Amino acid sequence: MRAQFRSRIRLILAGVICIAIVIVIRLYFIQIVHGEDYTQKADRQFASGGSGLFDRGSIYFRLKDGTPISAATLSTGFLVAINPQTLGDPEAAYAAITAVASSSIPYGTFIAAAAKKAQVYIEVAHHLSDENGRALAVRAIPGIQVLRERWRYYPGVSLAAHSIGTISYGSGDTLIGQTGLEEVYDGPLSRSGDALYKNFFAELFSNVGDLLVSAKDAREGEIMTTIEPEVQTRLENDIAKVSKRYLSHESGGIIMDPRTGEIIALAIYPTYDANNRQNVSASLLGNPLAEHVHEFGSIMKPITMAAGLDAGVVTAETTYNDVGCITVDTKKICNWDLKARGVVPMKQIIVQSLNLGAAWVATELGQEKFREYFTKLFGQKTGIDLPNESGALLGNLSKTQQINFDTMAYGHGIAVTPIQMIRALGALANSGTMVQPHLVSSVRLNSGIERKFDWSQTTPVFGANAVRETADMMTAVVDEKLQGGKAIISTMSVAAKTGTAQLTNEQGGYFSDRFFHSFVGFFPAYNPRFIILLYTSDPQNVTYASDTLGSTFLDLTHFLIDYYAIPPDRGFATTTPS
Amino acid sequence: MLNFAHRFRFSPLSFCSGTVAVLAVSYIGLIAVVMSYATFTVEFSQSVRNNETSVAELERQYFATMAEITKTDYVAAGYATPSIKVFVPAKSVTALR
Repeated sequence: MRAQFRSRIRLILAGVICIAIVIVIRLYFIQIVHGEDYTQKADRQFASGGSGLFDRGSIYFRLKDGTPISAATLSTGFLVAINPQTLGDPEAAYAAITAVASSSIPYGTFIAAAAKKAQVYIEVAHHLSDENGRALAVRAIPGIQVLRERWRYYPGVSLAAHSIGTISYGSGDTLIGQTGLEEVYDGPLSRSGDALYKNFFAELFSNVGDLLVSAKDAREGEIMTTIEPEVQTRLENDIAKVSKRYLSHESGGIIMDPRTGEIIALAIYPTYDANNRQNVSASLLGNPLAEHVHEFGSIMKPITMAAGLDAGVVTAETTYNDVGCITVDTKKICNWDLKARGVVPMKQIIVQSLNLGAAWVATELGQEKFREYFTKLFGQKTGIDLPNESGALLGNLSKTQQINFDTMAYGHGIAVTPIQMIRALGALANSGTMVQPHLVSSVRLNSGIERKFDWSQTTPVFGANAVRETADMMTAVVDEKLQGGKAIISTMSVAAKTGTAQLTNEQGGYFSDRFFHSFVGFFPAYNPRFIILLYTSDPQNVTYASDTLGSTFLDLTHFLIDYYAIPPDRGFATTTPS
Repeated sequence: MLNFAHRFRFSPLSFCSGTVAVLAVSYIGLIAVVMSYATFTVEFSQSVRNNETSVAELERQYFATMAEITKTDYVAAGYATPSIKVFVPAKSVTALR
């Protein structure tokens, strides 16, 4: 029996040895005999190792039902490189490359690159589609390598480009977020490069701790924004129309939920193609909504009014005598049409946009109270998750001449960013409390956990009664004044205010014929779902904001009411005004 | 019992040979599993990326279609604004006016 057992063992050993010999022979053929072929094949990257490919988390828009849609993602394809040492016919190679590549280097540059015989690797075309890359690789042209490539891709092209941001090479050789959300959330978005390719067994033997609890998985993830892509598209389209029609220097708009601070859409014109920034000026890459300050003009009046009502220095029934023009501290200030109104109630200050009325409320309020309210409203940055946010220019608040307070009451001599402005006006749509505007609601970590950001910090400014009375006055603007009263929506109360400010010149004064137009509105006026802020800077051949932005505001209002199916808050059936 | 002990009498040589054989087969098997797993991981991750690219292309088409719809002038296309809109009354927390 023992001999039999021994023979069996020998048989097994012989089998093992045979298998080992077969494997060794196979490895010899693969690595030694056909090694060169496989090297070349690897060069063509039909089976990339992958660890060298660019990787980065995605940024998502969110549809109104919560469905995520990519704002920034990754695209995979091929790049083409040449090896000048083995490139036989440069002209034929160039023709083959340009036949499939949408972007490649110019002919002269290609020929010059092909002449650099000391080099073995020069990239000549990028972002080839899978199909085109494979078609070129199959031709196996000597000296041409078709390599796997992955790059940042923005499916919306220019959609919310200023806010989503850009990536580029910083001081090192790594692509990092340079503007917008790409910059602010670079930590969760950046990848160390091997997450998908790690070898389980290698990890098991070398790094058991990381296999069980990965620090990267708790840090890296995808960014979920509050931007609704359909609303964003609508806003961008409307803003572009205004800018093109009036040849404005710049136009912008923000739509925010005043109860939470979630920004549903924000647009800037001019904008740029996020996938092709070769000819884009660097000045276009920032976000003017958070970085540029403007004197907004009369949309500041509702804030002045709410402050006066909240402080108790005026009531909705209070009247004042409007004389058309007054002189304060040797400077003359007038109503927009230079006309006197006589004795008028507070509501008319908002409805007729009376500068003298706003100045009168500021005088009644007193400098100390005025300073207190405006410092609370604009004294600090909003903390929005966009880089390089600017602060307001509030120098006039620290002066003692009354003229400064009178002009600030109607939006001159005080410069704030659009984001600050919508946050302050949002208090009128949120029972007197300012919220924190933000673009990102959560990060979906690689571990599967969705970590929500805390944006719940609020700043109470006005009392609910003062806000309600101000909303009453602003509602009358739409119901009675806008488009001669035709803008009224009989099923929805809409509060709004226009603003027209003269642009400042280099001498510190104001242009008499160049304007900054703004428009703010929220609805339903007494329980708002949305607040909209629009502006256009230096529109040509038009003076008043109601002309440039009135119809845009109404278009957006009707769109949002329909899109979100906002229930009517007054009257249930209506005949649409023609 | 005697018969059983006789059949499986301990021999150091047999034991070592058997152990070597088992280890060798296990080693080869482990290599095969690791290589298969690594290949599978790479292929899977590559297919994920390829799918991601396809999804991105579909999303681009979605955005382009949406932009086209937004730009459409319905009046110019021959459609008329509805003359009457009837809303379903909803319980509202707002002050109805």
